[in-house]
Amino acid sequence: MSLQVRSLAYSNKNFTLRLDALEFAAGRLTGIVGPNGAGKTTLLKCLGVLLPLERKSVFLDGRDLAAMPAAHRARRLSYVPQEHVPTFSYTVRDFVLTGRAAHLGLFALPAARDAAAVEEALEFVGLRPFAGRPYVQLSSGERRLVLIARALAQDADVLLLDEPTTFLDPRHEVEVLGFIKRLTRERRITVLVTLHNLDMAVKYSDALVFLKEGRVHAAGPPEEVLSESLLEDVYDIPMRIVHCDGHKLIVR
Amino acid sequence: MDKKNRKSRRVLGILIMALPVALFVLSLNVGSYSIPAGDMGKTLLSLVVPSLRQDVPQVHRDIVLHIRLPRLLLALAAGASLAVSGAALQALFRNPLVNEYILGLSSGSAFGAALSLVFLGRSFPPQPAAFVFAMVAVMAVLLIAGRPESGLVSLLLTGVIVSAFFSALLMLVEFFASPYALQSLFYWLMGNLALAGWRDLALALPLMAAGLTLLILLRWRMNVLSMSDEEARAAGADVRREKWLVILAATLVTAAATSVAGIIGWLGLIVPHLVRMAVGADNRIVIPLSAALGASFLLAADTVTRSLTSIEIPVGIFTSLIGIPIFLALLKKSKKVWL
Repeated sequence: MSLQVRSLAYSNKNFTLRLDALEFAAGRLTGIVGPNGAGKTTLLKCLGVLLPLERKSVFLDGRDLAAMPAAHRARRLSYVPQEHVPTFSYTVRDFVLTGRAAHLGLFALPAARDAAAVEEALEFVGLRPFAGRPYVQLSSGERRLVLIARALAQDADVLLLDEPTTFLDPRHEVEVLGFIKRLTRERRITVLVTLHNLDMAVKYSDALVFLKEGRVHAAGPPEEVLSESLLEDVYDIPMRIVHCDGHKLIVR
Repeated sequence: MDKKNRKSRRVLGILIMALPVALFVLSLNVGSYSIPAGDMGKTLLSLVVPSLRQDVPQVHRDIVLHIRLPRLLLALAAGASLAVSGAALQALFRNPLVNEYILGLSSGSAFGAALSLVFLGRSFPPQPAAFVFAMVAVMAVLLIAGRPESGLVSLLLTGVIVSAFFSALLMLVEFFASPYALQSLFYWLMGNLALAGWRDLALALPLMAAGLTLLILLRWRMNVLSMSDEEARAAGADVRREKWLVILAATLVTAAATSVAGIIGWLGLIVPHLVRMAVGADNRIVIPLSAALGASFLLAADTVTRSLTSIEIPVGIFTSLIGIPIFLALLKKSKKVWL
């Protein structure tokens, strides 16, 4: 599924996001990077239609995203928030099951098919043994994986993730990004992910979008767009790119 | 461990579902006039088998069909309504302390029903006015507190303010009421099931049944809506529409219950809490079990108050008197406000 931005504009009191044509290729992992306040999360929420989206601005396989009914859209596109603030002590299984809402009518109860999708999603992120545990008892790394599992249970082919690795230790960071990468390879899911860690963004992304002050500064495969001058333009501090064991490392 | 736990929860669930039936049979046989169990059976059967009517003394028929049966049915329906609307509103507002009292629903419907009773008379059903003013109250709370996700304190505070406003309006109505109307108003407001006859229930029971059916059908959806609005929307829920549907149904059952039974506090807060402690947070189970436990709780409380003393203490006073200590004990035991 390809996600295509024709011209997207969103503004609130003190911020304006404006994008011209931009395409997110099917089955690819696109990293959205940029300084704080550049509009990364806003862009993601606009694409998920969690913020008001004007008609004819974003298209999913040629269909206007803003004109699709909510349930219809949610079967094609899922969104993973930065965190979930728990109120009630749902088990991991019941929590992930809420991702099936788009496949069920207003008065319907989840059936065997939905339970199977949940088990499969939990299996994929390796949390099946945790299915009966309360969500509130999980560590923050496990919580991120449960949020991803919920989006997987939704069975959409575009996945939007808002900073899935913030506050994670290096091991869990690699683990979460590894799962996300596997989704694009094994299931041809189109992934858009906002990231703060530039090294990780360069290492895992098939394409990078650099945002600054609500505009796209550069976009393309990391090996083509990444340069020291671009980084200095975007982040306003000098950075160097160092090659080490075949990886590009960014040194401040 | 997990399996054993799940099994004991299932047993507990079945017990709670059976509780209202057992209490109903028990309470039917409790009263100042004692009727032998065999006669009770015959009297009930005579409802559906007309030929049995001549075997049953008229006194038994009058007591069972016109005094006990409506009262027990009202206790079951009102208890279920208040507990389920409490559980639903808690899920919707992502806040386990929310109840129909805090959202102004109780005082709104009490004012509406009182207004109708005093100015339109006993022959006009009080439910429409109760529903309208309950909706006015909940809309006022939502409008003043802002979006549902604005914090707990602002919601609770707004609820207190709106409730206080409607209480003042209620006092104004009482001020204009005739002494006779005032007396019945007074007993009814304290939470009283004794005043209800079939005529009052004819409208209230179907309304409660309709609202409860809607809320029970929406029970899994409440799990989805109890996530943040953003998460629910991303999962494909039409959040605005679905939330209004739940609020309308919860208002309908609360207004219908309050307009015949008066203000019965604390049920909507304690019953869902107890259920969540026993079986977990999943609303697929919490909603039906809250209905069963709420119905049992109010029925038991009413039976105790009407048989304990010769002067009947209004059941609303009783539920508050035992509800508040239970709530404090729960709060202390769980060490946190929610479960």
